[in-house]
Amino acid sequence: MEASDRELMARLAAGDKDALGPLVERHHVRIYRIALSYLRDRDEAQDAVQETFVKACQGAARWDGSAEVAPWLARIAVNHAIDRYRRGRRRSKAETPLLDEDHGQRIAAPAPSPERRAMDSEAGERISAALLGLPDRQRAVVVLRLYEEMNLEEIARALDMSLGTVKSSLHRALRRMRVTLAGLRP
Amino acid sequence: MSLFHGRWSRRTSLLAAGALAERDRAATLAHVESCAACRADLAASRELITLVETDPVRLAEPPLPVGALVSRVQARLAEDERPAGSRTWVKTLVPLGAVAAAVIALVMFRASQRPPLREQTGPRQAAVSEDSLRRLEASVARENAVRYLTEAQDLLVTVAAAPLACDRKRARVDVEEEARRSRELLSRRALLVEADRAEMAGARPVLEDVSNMLREVAGLDPCARPEDLLAIQEQMSRRRLLMKIDLMTRELQG
Repeated sequence: MEASDRELMARLAAGDKDALGPLVERHHVRIYRIALSYLRDRDEAQDAVQETFVKACQGAARWDGSAEVAPWLARIAVNHAIDRYRRGRRRSKAETPLLDEDHGQRIAAPAPSPERRAMDSEAGERISAALLGLPDRQRAVVVLRLYEEMNLEEIARALDMSLGTVKSSLHRALRRMRVTLAGLRP
Repeated sequence: MSLFHGRWSRRTSLLAAGALAERDRAATLAHVESCAACRADLAASRELITLVETDPVRLAEPPLPVGALVSRVQARLAEDERPAGSRTWVKTLVPLGAVAAAVIALVMFRASQRPPLREQTGPRQAAVSEDSLRRLEASVARENAVRYLTEAQDLLVTVAAAPLACDRKRARVDVEEEARRSRELLSRRALLVEADRAEMAGARPVLEDVSNMLREVAGLDPCARPEDLLAIQEQMSRRRLLMKIDLMTRELQG
């Protein structure tokens, strides 16, 4: 019989490294999609997944044994994504010379994947732009509610916000996205 | 929009997002029946939610196979778990050795330039030494980072080049040497790179990208599947890693 998430976490907390593989296998796709919804960049999202599991292992000993593992991982992932995005925004100016065109041409970009092409479609691009245009915490609320389908109490716990702030953030984010995505039909 | 409608605006947004408790949901729906503006508001929010449901990232698959991800996570944990004492003294002594050599050279050079009968005062001598030491330490840190990046670049260029087929298994490629060198380089990173220094702040993202890529190469089967190698090559290309190493190396060299 397969070990439950809680059993795997308990084993990790006890130092059993073999528990990591099944836990990653079970949750990595979902964590990747949370990170990608937030960061809108495949490589950044992949790195965020890695760091989520690193933090999960490092925090395993402090994990509350009665808590559900999936929301706990989602919480780590979205908070890491917020930090990563903020850091990236700060260093983007410093890295601008790295995007020098002459050098960029030396390495040919690979052909875009079907998923990449979909994200680059008008709808994909505009949804990305609308999400990236939201303040960090509002975007996190939208991702956790509309993509991860967490309830508002779970979101409040995950982001360390009051329930009222979560409600206001979701409302404001939706109003703002309605304006940015006006004219785009499902 | 009336003030009255404004009171219901938040509720209609939450209703559309499926985030209202049953009692509030029923009350909001009842209100919406009698309020044309609220009905339009709800319809617009629902349309937005439907649009977001078509976002392609909902079906996105991670680019990294699960095995490679587990290897990366384990490598990161191993790096963090390495006892501080076992490497701190080397980390400190390696740059200090270089600094000491440079200081001796500096002192000898200054001595050779000094007029023979002129006396040195204590405080001035100390000020010169401290400042020089700081600059030399920064210079050594930059040189070590350049060495790490250059070795990593050589290795990654080899990985990106067409590798030889394995003797043991057909349709596989031999990356045993590259995987071994990656592991070795990763284990030396802690000795070579003082990433927490202020001078290294700009180089940190590139150093982190390089280490991640080396971890992936280190985690390859010695007789690797060509598609695993291709995935690494695509990542390097997408991240423009070789170019970034090139530019960062030049920047560190001043």
